Amino acid sequence: MPEKHSEFHSINGKRSILIIEDELINREILGYMLQDTYEVLYAEDGARALRILDEQCETLSLVLLDLNLPDMKGLDILQKMKEDRRTALLPVIVLTADQDAEVECLSVGATDFISKPYPKQEIVLARIRRTIELFEDRDLIRWTERDALTGLYNPDFFFRHAAQFDTFHPDTPMDAIVLDINHFHMLNERFGRETGDEVLKLVAGKLLEAVEASGGIVCRRNGDTFLMYCPHRSDYADILKSVCLEMSADNHIRARMGVYSEVSRSVSVERRFDRAKQAADTVRNNYAQAVGIYDNSMLEKELYMEQLLEDFNTAIRENQFTVHYQPKFDIRGSAPVLNSAEALVRWRHPKFGMVSPGVFIPFFEENGMIRELDSYVWREAAKQVSQWKEALGMTIPVSVNVSRIDLNDPSLQKMLEDIVDGAGIDRGDLLLEITESAYTDNSEQITDTIKALREGGFFIEMDDFGTGYSSLNMITALPLDALKLDMQFIRTAFRGRKDTRHIEAVIGLAKALSLPVIAEGVETAEQMFTLKAMGCDVVQGYYFSKPLPADEFEAYVRKLDRESESGAAQAPRLEKNRPRDQFTYDAMHDPLTGLYNHSAFDILFHDADQDHIAVVIATVDGYKALRESKGKACADRVIQRVANVLRGTFRSADHVCRLQEDEFVIILTRITSAMQKQVLGKIDRINQALADAPEGQEPISLSVGVAFSDRSDPGGDVFEDADTALRRMKQMRRTDYAV
Amino acid sequence: MLTIDTLKAYGANVQEGLGRCMNNEAFYLRLVKMAAGDANFGKLDSALAAGDLTGAFEAAHALKGMLGNLALTPVLTPVAEVTEVLRAQTGTDYGPYRERIRAQHQALLELFGN
Repeated sequence: MPEKHSEFHSINGKRSILIIEDELINREILGYMLQDTYEVLYAEDGARALRILDEQCETLSLVLLDLNLPDMKGLDILQKMKEDRRTALLPVIVLTADQDAEVECLSVGATDFISKPYPKQEIVLARIRRTIELFEDRDLIRWTERDALTGLYNPDFFFRHAAQFDTFHPDTPMDAIVLDINHFHMLNERFGRETGDEVLKLVAGKLLEAVEASGGIVCRRNGDTFLMYCPHRSDYADILKSVCLEMSADNHIRARMGVYSEVSRSVSVERRFDRAKQAADTVRNNYAQAVGIYDNSMLEKELYMEQLLEDFNTAIRENQFTVHYQPKFDIRGSAPVLNSAEALVRWRHPKFGMVSPGVFIPFFEENGMIRELDSYVWREAAKQVSQWKEALGMTIPVSVNVSRIDLNDPSLQKMLEDIVDGAGIDRGDLLLEITESAYTDNSEQITDTIKALREGGFFIEMDDFGTGYSSLNMITALPLDALKLDMQFIRTAFRGRKDTRHIEAVIGLAKALSLPVIAEGVETAEQMFTLKAMGCDVVQGYYFSKPLPADEFEAYVRKLDRESESGAAQAPRLEKNRPRDQFTYDAMHDPLTGLYNHSAFDILFHDADQDHIAVVIATVDGYKALRESKGKACADRVIQRVANVLRGTFRSADHVCRLQEDEFVIILTRITSAMQKQVLGKIDRINQALADAPEGQEPISLSVGVAFSDRSDPGGDVFEDADTALRRMKQMRRTDYAV
Repeated sequence: MLTIDTLKAYGANVQEGLGRCMNNEAFYLRLVKMAAGDANFGKLDSALAAGDLTGAFEAAHALKGMLGNLALTPVLTPVAEVTEVLRAQTGTDYGPYRERIRAQHQALLELFGN
């Protein structure tokens, strides 16, 4: 009865064995012994044996090899098998009556021997079975210890091999090297996964080729990172160069390398590669230098970070972390108005003094401690909003950071709700800043979490906008209440030769999505006014105030309050009774057109510089009749067309609003009556565009009234004047405009 | 006619040889017949006569393997002996070996009768 083995390497359910033996009688006897258990193939000479090995190497489980063949020596066949990658690992049992040949066979790689005359069938079968099992187990282990794509070790085995190497070579100076391919995910996206895989295989081959001969080992980790552990050498720049040459044949790929040279054996193997990785990160985006070397300054930094990590719990317990608040101002009106604040954490370390958040936040993000720190800041901020409510008689919403790692916590929403409810403030008083890169993780779970938070009443601001890889699709699909421009973005735009085109494009994008834009890091008047002119809604930065401890912030607000009464018209001010919900998108926008609604108009008109505005009021001619005869759906399409034309015609600094069904108002800012001609030109263009109806739609015309605030007989209200102009024109049954 | 009994009478270790053939008598007897007619007997004899020690060793080595597997002891014994002598390549008189092998081979062939 056939013996049981698992099912691979089998033909018709049996493993197959090749008997290479020139003597017919011997072949017959062996075959007879094996035929019930195995599929048996025969070769009577070396040529036929090599042909079968070539054609059927994938399905063979074992070779039984006679040493004396008519056309070649059995040893030569063994040698050829070892040289061929496909057959090198196939087990071979030598059939011999000659004990002297055993040593030589062993050295070439035979697995076992069966003597002639053959032992009993049971013994032959047992030896064959054992050999096959050993081989298959080894093969399994080989696959689990290898990365299937590149054939390199996987990290677990790599680290184990490295440790084993150390045990046997305690005095050999060794190097730990990390190689990262720059922007590998972009390569995958641009050229497809297959190309990416090919590149990985090329890199793997090249690295192995470089270090294998000297006893080095290589593994692949996290997709596009390679680790090497090899006896000390100094030609890493050359190795990297050859790898880059190999990769860059036609797709301009670059890589960076970090070297921890002559590693300290007192540092764990994994840690040695952390150091090499640290070194690699020092040359990230450095086109002049692609190899980073781990040195003493990095060691000091590492020790410093370790100390911070160690001190974290004490710091929380002893309130070494404090929350500072930086005011945010709404700059849409003539004077900036305090709108909210951002909570920023500071650490006064008993030994190191003030530790920069730029140092400890990314570090705590890496090791997960940021969750504890974030929730500490949320609690402090919520408590503060509540205290100010009482002390100042007004609500100052505070935005707090929500790290990517927080978003994976299923209890996040409950925790935030408990904090806000516990402090007795509204959900909307804690604004949640979520970094853009968290969205680009593109996990459904993250999007769902953010949606649920927003539905629960929290405001969501996309932080660091412009630094990540947000696609337009993603932003439009995401639940958001504001976009926050990255500070670095502002600094770069205003550095040296001022180039604000990128900011303008981002603000344009936000406007197209009807999202308010917040700019942080604003330090100068020039930055503030440029951003204002571009249509930025809210600004935060040293231009107004640095982040302040809670008590100083409170004093700052009180001062603003006092100065609002007596200060200059354009000085920052406080408006205690300002509507609270000004930045909720739904509350401020018309759902049909996405234009500002009546509530938004009230705020925008109130905040506008009344000396330099114009108001345009437009109604759709014959709208009521159209709606009655063609129905609501058709009327809605007309309104959407008008909205699109208006939005496309006026500047981003102007505010286009829909007040009633077919009544649109445009507040033109920073304008004088000297520009009347241009404004009237725009109205003409609008009417021309609307007269030119798309197929299946009626031509439309607008009746328009226009008024300028610096008109010759100032008196009354510019809005009322525009309204009067419109009514007068309608009485005259004209269908263009009146000023 | 060749039978298990005649083979036993010849001196073959039938139990051992049959054991390798899973006690299939017909299979065993068929292989014995093939062995008796094997061309290596002729090759060995003529190579020894001609002093071709390499050719003689190859033929003897091949015979030793197959006769051993079939446990045809009377003819196996001189073949195994000459194989080792030929392996050592010492200047031996191979005449007596030729005689013994020829005689035992002949005795084996006679078992088949005609």
